[in-house]
Amino acid sequence: MTWWSTLFAVSPLVVVALGALLLMLAEALGRPAPAADGAVVTDVGSGRAGELGIGSAVVLFAGGVFALSLWMVGPEALPGAEGLAPYFIVDRFSAFFGVMLCLGGGLSALLGGGYLDEHGIDRSEFFPLLLWATLGAMALAGAGDLLTLFVALETMSIGVYAMVGLRRNGRAIEAALKYFLLGGFAGALTLFGAALLYGATGHTDLAGIGASVGTIGQPGSTVPAGLVLVAMALVVSGLLFKVAAVPFHMWTPDAYEGAPTPATTFMAVAVKCAAFAILLRVLFGAFADERVASWGTGWPPVLAVLAVATMTVGNLIAGRQESVKRMLAYSSIAHAGYALLGVVAAMRSGMGQASVLFYLLAYTVSTVGAFGALILCGRRGAEAVSYEDLAGIGRRHPVVALAFSLFLVSLAGIPATAGFFGKLGVFLAAIDAELYVLAVVGLLNSFLGAYYYLRVLVYMYMREPSPNAPRAVPMRSGQVGVAIAVAALLVVWWGLFPLSIGADVTAAGSAPMAR
Amino acid sequence: MTPLGSALVGLWPYVAAFLVGWFVPRRQGWAERLGVATSALLGVVLIVGLWPVAPAAGVGDDKPGEWPHLLNLLVFLPIVGALGVLFLPRQAPKVLRAVTLAILAGDFVVSLWLLGVPMTTGWHFQYIATWIPAFGIRYHVAVDGISLWLVLLTTLTTPIAAYVSFGSIRRRTKELCFAILLLQGAMLGAFVALDLFLFYVFWELLLVPMFIIIGVWGGVERIKASYKFFLYTMAGSVLMLAAILYLVWVHTDLVGYPTFDYLALSRLSLPRVAAALCFYAFALAFMVKVPMFPLHTWLPDAHVEAPTGGSIILAAVLLKLGTYGYLRFCMGMFGGAAWQSGATLAGIAIGLGILYGALVAWKQADIKRLVAYSSVAHMGFAMLGLFAGTRAGVEGSVLTMVNHGISTGALFLLVGVIYDRRHTREVREFGGLAKVMPVYATIFVIMTLSSIGVPGTNGFVGELMVITGTYVSQSLGGFAKVQAVLAALGVILAAVYMLSVVERMFFGPLTNRANRRLPDLSPREVIALAPLVVLVFVIGLFPNIFIARMRPSVNALLEDYEQSWKAHSEMPDHGQARMRAQPEGPRRKGYPEPPPPRAEPPGAEAGREVARLPTEEDVP
Repeated sequence: MTWWSTLFAVSPLVVVALGALLLMLAEALGRPAPAADGAVVTDVGSGRAGELGIGSAVVLFAGGVFALSLWMVGPEALPGAEGLAPYFIVDRFSAFFGVMLCLGGGLSALLGGGYLDEHGIDRSEFFPLLLWATLGAMALAGAGDLLTLFVALETMSIGVYAMVGLRRNGRAIEAALKYFLLGGFAGALTLFGAALLYGATGHTDLAGIGASVGTIGQPGSTVPAGLVLVAMALVVSGLLFKVAAVPFHMWTPDAYEGAPTPATTFMAVAVKCAAFAILLRVLFGAFADERVASWGTGWPPVLAVLAVATMTVGNLIAGRQESVKRMLAYSSIAHAGYALLGVVAAMRSGMGQASVLFYLLAYTVSTVGAFGALILCGRRGAEAVSYEDLAGIGRRHPVVALAFSLFLVSLAGIPATAGFFGKLGVFLAAIDAELYVLAVVGLLNSFLGAYYYLRVLVYMYMREPSPNAPRAVPMRSGQVGVAIAVAALLVVWWGLFPLSIGADVTAAGSAPMAR
Repeated sequence: MTPLGSALVGLWPYVAAFLVGWFVPRRQGWAERLGVATSALLGVVLIVGLWPVAPAAGVGDDKPGEWPHLLNLLVFLPIVGALGVLFLPRQAPKVLRAVTLAILAGDFVVSLWLLGVPMTTGWHFQYIATWIPAFGIRYHVAVDGISLWLVLLTTLTTPIAAYVSFGSIRRRTKELCFAILLLQGAMLGAFVALDLFLFYVFWELLLVPMFIIIGVWGGVERIKASYKFFLYTMAGSVLMLAAILYLVWVHTDLVGYPTFDYLALSRLSLPRVAAALCFYAFALAFMVKVPMFPLHTWLPDAHVEAPTGGSIILAAVLLKLGTYGYLRFCMGMFGGAAWQSGATLAGIAIGLGILYGALVAWKQADIKRLVAYSSVAHMGFAMLGLFAGTRAGVEGSVLTMVNHGISTGALFLLVGVIYDRRHTREVREFGGLAKVMPVYATIFVIMTLSSIGVPGTNGFVGELMVITGTYVSQSLGGFAKVQAVLAALGVILAAVYMLSVVERMFFGPLTNRANRRLPDLSPREVIALAPLVVLVFVIGLFPNIFIARMRPSVNALLEDYEQSWKAHSEMPDHGQARMRAQPEGPRRKGYPEPPPPRAEPPGAEAGREVARLPTEEDVP
């Protein structure tokens, strides 16, 4: 009688998949809504972004509720969950990411419901794509085998490639093509590394690889150390591409800027979090052995350098941007750097993984809110993109400006917001791992970051638009408003009472990464 | 003494108040006369009511009459008020202003309660609540004889600044009210917090409203100035955060449970290199705020661009956070490293703060910039007293903080008055103003004398004590006497630049036509200035009222400072930290206890290492 527990163990994915299928049906069978200006609408199912946005948000939140109930019951209490390992690992880690990804995806869907309609690109394939991509992301967080890893990675990525190019203008196509080509290349790197790993160890499951790596150097071991190192470098590089860590970040600004803002949000939130999940799984499932995971040898020093480079480059370039969307893209690169710092710290500190999880959670809600507020600041034909567009919003639309400020303050890591505790956790973990220099560099970086977040506040509150410039008119959308309200609530709640989820984060962060 | 004699002695303050009221010219309006009389009366009550008496024998530590929620009320009344203001209609600026002033005045009245208890050695009005138990973060607030005066300074000057701002700022009143109230709450919170995390939260929180005040209502270059203000402070404070996290980690390592509490972390004795690094991380954050050369460059810009009210708060309170932070945290937690660096830092404070600041101030053509640079010099005195680490030095330093708040705050207010009338602050635009604005000139001269430190005014007491404290300092070593002499030179330079500007502005022929018909001080301005003028003389003539209340706390702090230095000199350069032994005493009240053993969170590995509870060996 384990079938029901197996079903329950994968229920979050099943719910999302069923919902995606239903939504595709609804989209294919639905009649196009008449356009408001009387224009002829040819695309099947278009003009329904509002309904489809709510529908996908409901599906994703339902998936999140199932993941949450899986968490409440406890994956270790489910006998059927074991049978899925190593292909799909059901543990607190994947359940936690299930909740986080559904939250991020659902909020992005709500943003999409408001945005696509407003900007006249409501071609409804966006929403099934978003659902499938979320499904891929959730599967990725639970992948314990290189095969599932690759399949889930591609499921997630392909959906996002299409979402980026939704707008079909030059810029969006450039963004989609760039993302697709580089993403395909990175996927190939991962696959090549996986093949080499299989060749070196004879395993595709992370636990088996971990065990084989542990025998390196012992008498009788046949595992070639050099090959394992090369393979590890390839796999990790492919994953760092998805994380958008320097030097694999080149695609990020263009893709983020060219994509419709909800797709950008999804990329910044769900794709990044899922990539961090699988990065943690691979590093601590397969490569957790002393020989490849200590400060002297293996990945930690390399990742530490990349973390510092990522946050510094991200912050420095973000400060030079004139487009707020592009600034947020670079800032998301910098945030990947902070989270990577937590990953490095996790090599020696027990709280490292938990700190990464909390960081990602705080980053998710803050980023969704920031992009949502940016969406609300603009209207069709007058999307708020540059700093100039935001001038005077503080007076013309005080609520949106206040919400935007809250999310930026949280991203900057100023106390009494979730983002501050995210940073605090990561730096505490770094100090706990005795990586003092890294902690100080990270803190100095958070100071660098404050500059450009503050700049948005300056434009919103302290500058007036120049008289002849086209003026961004804030749009109204219930869906976007709801998404922002939820995000703001969570930012403040976790900022005042971070320990309300502290034990959960610790539990998720201390699960063994591979079986 | 004869009954008549004692009656005369007992009555003199009332006579003095009467005389003050008598000399207010009749042509002034009733509001103005009322304001002046109230201020004089308050001054008298202050002197009589607070005259230090020998503490009665057997005053224990359980002080009845201390309402534990007093500080909560003080801190959260403005913060809740700020949130409440958001819900008031923007179209009713009068209501907004009245509500804000009422809240600030209420805060001031409540804060007077702090004077009602004898300030014995320990912590007063202490309130502790758990906040984030897993990290050992608590909501821990208390005052002692040092923070008491800074809290009172804050509650006194902010309403004055708000009152003045409401006279000159007419746009976006709602945001102004919100910013001032939030700022007030954050400043008070930073002065009373005894948990480093809580302190850091308030410390960062107050950046945002000040940033808004400078950036929205400031002058032409306001945005640049507000950036500078924010980023300088933030740069210092992230390093402080790194040091705080390191201390917490070391404490956890040693004793087995994490805590951010000041009482516990101040017992840490770090190896010398780590102690020096942590000390400088903290000191940097505070020296930016003070500001000390070469970190002072944000100050003139911020002051010049800020609106008058913002400048007053900035000068009177925000700068004090730097000196207070140094006194409380650097000297209280890294006594050894502070002692060791004292001589060098004192040299910087004198050479590049007091003397250089004075010389630069001398060359300024803009009065506001001049006052801003004089702040650098005055705060140099405050820091010098702390670096000296003697009783006279520290007491003089705390007194100088209060004095500077009063006299420089008042000077900024006066500069704002003339700027509102002429829209220029160039000294050469003025001359002979005493003829058209006699009251203004009188108060300006009083504040100038106070700022210079003429005997009888408040400035004299503070600076004299700092200089004598420097002269006898042990930690400054052989340079102490030279440094005291050089610091005294700074007082002379202060006279040079302040008096020359007074001479050029107020005396001589009235050359500029535009100055012919300037109106004298308005009632609003007189009411705002009167309490400050009264305080100049109250502190100048009866400094003992203030010093007696800070003495037990200063003594306790210095005793700990010396012990910390002794412990520090026995530490190796690298190696294991340890907890310093500390006798039981009133200053240990509220020491964070180890948490009860917690149930493991669900799903955690059974074999994982759990936090070790402290044993007897851990606590010497």
